[in-house]
Amino acid sequence: MSAILELLKPDFLLHHAVYGSAVVGFVCPLVGVYFLLRRLVFWGVALPQVSTAGIAFAFLLQGLGLTILAGHEGQEKHLAIIGAVVFTAVTILILAYYERKGHGLGEGRIGALYAIAWAASILFVAWNAQGETEMLGLLKGEIVSISEQDFHAMLNTFAVVAGALFLFQREFTLVSYDRDMAVTLGRSAGFWDLLLYLIVGVTISLGVMTVGPLVIFGLLVIPPMAALPWAGGMLSFSLLASAIGGVSSFAGFYVSYTRDLPLGPVIVGAAFAIYLLSQLVQLARSAVARASR
Amino acid sequence: MSQPILIDFKGAALGYGGRPILTHVDLHVEAGSFWGVLGSNGSGKTTILKTFLSLIPPMGGRVTTRGRSGDSARFGYVPQKERLDPIYPLSGLDVASMGTWGRFELFKRLRGKIRNSFVRECLSECGATAFAAKPFSSLSGGQKQRVLIARALAAEPEILVLDEPLAGIDVPTQLALLDLLARVKKDRDLTVLMVSHRIRAEKTLFTNIAFVDEGKVVCGPAAKMISEGKLAEIFRGDL
Repeated sequence: MSAILELLKPDFLLHHAVYGSAVVGFVCPLVGVYFLLRRLVFWGVALPQVSTAGIAFAFLLQGLGLTILAGHEGQEKHLAIIGAVVFTAVTILILAYYERKGHGLGEGRIGALYAIAWAASILFVAWNAQGETEMLGLLKGEIVSISEQDFHAMLNTFAVVAGALFLFQREFTLVSYDRDMAVTLGRSAGFWDLLLYLIVGVTISLGVMTVGPLVIFGLLVIPPMAALPWAGGMLSFSLLASAIGGVSSFAGFYVSYTRDLPLGPVIVGAAFAIYLLSQLVQLARSAVARASR
Repeated sequence: MSQPILIDFKGAALGYGGRPILTHVDLHVEAGSFWGVLGSNGSGKTTILKTFLSLIPPMGGRVTTRGRSGDSARFGYVPQKERLDPIYPLSGLDVASMGTWGRFELFKRLRGKIRNSFVRECLSECGATAFAAKPFSSLSGGQKQRVLIARALAAEPEILVLDEPLAGIDVPTQLALLDLLARVKKDRDLTVLMVSHRIRAEKTLFTNIAFVDEGKVVCGPAAKMISEGKLAEIFRGDL
């Protein structure tokens, strides 16, 4: 208990990292809810990897001396964010176009994208002669060494993302659930889709920079999966998934700190433990219901 | 006195992906009429609906829609229930509420002024109050259709559009749904278009029929269409 309280103290050395990972944990599942409901879970695998490739590409440009932002650590991070956002946004728009048109095999496209994004990330790192160590750190997520300034920038961005997801929940639900109905009601389905994809892009890009692609994928998919059986509506689904993500991140940080384990895998492990618990309780509930009939 | 034309197809070509499915479509839907859009599976019935609902653009000719007073038409749309993904954690009330989501109403939303009472009235009108709180995915076919009709009514439509509303539903429930449609049409002075691949029970409701067959659309008064021509031949068993 005392170790938990220690983590929450403002004078704790890594307090930005604790709060930062919890914020990522709270916000990513809010986006993941739509991945799950739109049956686009594999986007959650591929897009963080694409975002990673964007970061590696930005650093490669910098290593080749092809950027005006090179020089300071803060500027390098800004460049990495730009790379991640551009790669992710362009990929989302292309995927969304093919999804709407229904061309080809969607899962195959995502699989190919994942493979090439991973390969590109490795090649971009290999071709970059400078700053490989720091870049590898960024690719894995640098939450532990997050600066005060970056922490506040991340907090503000995720606050806007979460606010938009709650404020426009009706619109996002309507265009996701019944696009035709949205159009007959006079809503611009294309605009709301685009806004949702923009939010997805920003969340994944910033999340990958903060905690790395593995944790982002885990937080996009596992908390919504754990929450879905218990959701009574879209709002409760989002809130529950968000709470599970936040708790997983905090619990993961606690275990990582006290047991000296790598943070990312422990956060994913904590989320999966909650998912297992959710499944077990659901099985027990079903068994009790069957027995009482 | 003749009624205004709310949906007007003039020499229209309809289809998807650059491939016309129906050509030379002439269809004029008067206010207050009840149209049956009939034809076999895959004949292009839903394409007609999707075109005047602006879900797909016409490939040629002209398609116009308008309300009774000349402004833009307000549609209430009941899609095929199988098209709605059961994974969504939505109750019957949640689904019906979507009918009121045509307006942005951000400030009302922020102040918590939602239109639940109006939605509940629509559910009550459709006999769906008892199961409104249940998950939509757990409802029977007939119950889902009642909720979807309530959702369409919540949009305060002038034109009610239904895509195969009786498919996969037992006969007593079909008759109850047709009674419901007749009642809401009369009470709300609606114009109704209903896609169907059969006409056994619903033929008494139709004032007009559009018969879709082999890339063409033949229209006429229901009584005449049912008693003569190819429609009578095809649906002889149903009549």
